[in-house]
Amino acid sequence: MMKLSNITKVYGKGSLEVPVLHGIDLTIEDGEFVAIMGPSGSGKSTLMNIIGFLDYPSSGTYELNGEQIASAKESILAKLRNEHVGFVFQQFFMFPRDNAIKNVASPLVYAGVSKRERTSRAKDLLVKVGLGDRMKHLPNQLSGGQKQRVAIARALVNNPTILLADEPTGALDSNTSGQIMKLFTQLNEEGKTVIIVTHEEEIAAYAKRIITIKDGRITDDRRVTS
Amino acid sequence: MNIWESFKIALSSIWNHKIRSILTMLGIIIGVAAVIIIVAIGQGTKKQMTNELFSTDKNAIQIYYEYIPPEGETEMFWQEPELTSEDIQTLAEVPGVKAVVATNQGWGMMTHDDEQGEMQITGVGAEFFPARDIKVVEGRALYAADNDGLNRVVLIDTIAREKFFKETETPIGEIINLNDNPYKVVGVYESPLPEQFRNTETGEMLMPRSVISMMFGNREIEQLSVIASDPENISETGRLAADTLTTEKGLEDGKYSTNDFEDYERELNTMISLLTLLIGSIAGISLLVGGIGVMNIMLVSVTERTREIGLRKAIGATRRKILLQFLIESITLTSLGGLIGIGLAAVGSILVSKFSPITATVSPLIVLIGVSFSALIGIIFGMLPANKASKLSPIEALRYE
Ligand SMILES: Nc1ncnc2c1ncn2[C@@H]1O[C@H](COP(=O)(O)OP(=O)(O)O)[C@@H](O)[C@H]1O
Ligand SMILES: [Mg+2]
Repeated sequence: MMKLSNITKVYGKGSLEVPVLHGIDLTIEDGEFVAIMGPSGSGKSTLMNIIGFLDYPSSGTYELNGEQIASAKESILAKLRNEHVGFVFQQFFMFPRDNAIKNVASPLVYAGVSKRERTSRAKDLLVKVGLGDRMKHLPNQLSGGQKQRVAIARALVNNPTILLADEPTGALDSNTSGQIMKLFTQLNEEGKTVIIVTHEEEIAAYAKRIITIKDGRITDDRRVTS
Repeated sequence: MNIWESFKIALSSIWNHKIRSILTMLGIIIGVAAVIIIVAIGQGTKKQMTNELFSTDKNAIQIYYEYIPPEGETEMFWQEPELTSEDIQTLAEVPGVKAVVATNQGWGMMTHDDEQGEMQITGVGAEFFPARDIKVVEGRALYAADNDGLNRVVLIDTIAREKFFKETETPIGEIINLNDNPYKVVGVYESPLPEQFRNTETGEMLMPRSVISMMFGNREIEQLSVIASDPENISETGRLAADTLTTEKGLEDGKYSTNDFEDYERELNTMISLLTLLIGSIAGISLLVGGIGVMNIMLVSVTERTREIGLRKAIGATRRKILLQFLIESITLTSLGGLIGIGLAAVGSILVSKFSPITATVSPLIVLIGVSFSALIGIIFGMLPANKASKLSPIEALRYE
């Protein structure tokens, strides 16, 4: 469970200060499928980065499974990123010289997993995301949708409890987007907490809870009952 | 992530930028190669010169008389003091002296049957044989009594034996003529000349030095050397012996000295050290410039790979691991440069050894020092870029265009 209380974020210093988040209160339970919506520049990514331990809030508290981590050391955050969350980005972010297997296995390198184990886990996940026949391909030999599948497999490889996706379909056509969202739905059904940032209604519609942000404040938080 | 994996990543990154890497390594390559080859040549030169100095006799040192004209006077006619068997006895008792070798020289035309030839004759005492390791192959060596009794006996070397006697004949007891005076052959000794010179020589002979003095009019002791029991201390032993002799003879207008190899060696060392220092500084500057080049290229690499660093952090790399990765990369870069430099130096040493009289030797120690030193440069100049990489904020890095 994640509990964010009165989280603020201010970029820059002095006269260049840009306040982005203004007192966010948000609790997300394990196993939820959340979409964070809002117009461009509203602070979605900023919030997502704080949730995913990529950035520190300027103030406020963040409780993860009962522990305070808002001001934890960088090395502790690195460990949390490695073990607790998996990231999927709009721009995919691959290691361009590494094939699909190595890209998927990369987080395990920092987890100290043996090469043999890394390769076998990466292969299993590539099969799971439907890329069993593209395992040795380099990123530039894969389509956008395939790259995003590799990214999802990479996010899953260390068996995290939370999947964070920042506009994961932003660079994909609607057909491919649908497939990616079905994959997230499936992963949520298997028990992962899934948090997706998007500004598209159709994408948010896959989630079970939709949070709307405007100008750094939560303006709406509703659960979808199907 | 272990070191080996960081190393492999580093190697592939160097490989992916071949030309850039080679250019970056150039300073290190030149620096290391210069240092090693200069040290190799220096050591080779020193070894060769020391060999030349000491090759004739590893533990014998010659003592000679030096005339010192009194203050204000120019060098006048002077005479070397006569040395006696008591003097030799005194020298033999100097600590560290194993043996004293006193000799004089003569030349003579030797005839036997129909053969004749110019012979070099060395006048020696009984002590000469053990001291110089003379192997008597037929007959006997000289006794002290031969000198004392002015016995007209000689030993010929194996070269002369071959020239003047048939193999079946025994020369022992034979009378030979030397400048028309008869002498008795009492022994044959193994020629100390190296094999390749033996057939061009007419041979040599040994006889009591008192007999040379009497028959040729020479002084009884013309050359004097001491043999040290410990070759390491040859210079000190020689100096001590010379000083003892000077005191013993109560000399005022002269003294006994030795060829001080130590001085010579010291001079040689100073020269080589100076040269090494000079080239060393040039190499040092080259390494410094090389190091700065490495730092520069590593900074470029950090900037180019900002997104990669962000991604690595996003998937769980700690600062320490990023720091280590870049440090290992710069160490790999400089060590590789060092290794190439050593390779060049080795080739250079082989060429120098082949086309000059100096044998340049690349010692394992200097190789070790070369590699560690270039690795050290990698650490020193890689620290700043690696630190910069490790401190990047993950989101800033991922946003970097
Ligand atoms: N590192 C930064 N420095 C300064 N301003 C930033 C930085 N990152 C984001 N911003 C600003 O914060 C606001 C919110 O950005 P972001 O969280 O990326 O919004 P969204 O993801 O909703 O489009 C924007 O106005 C953006 O310009
Ligand atoms: Mg965004």
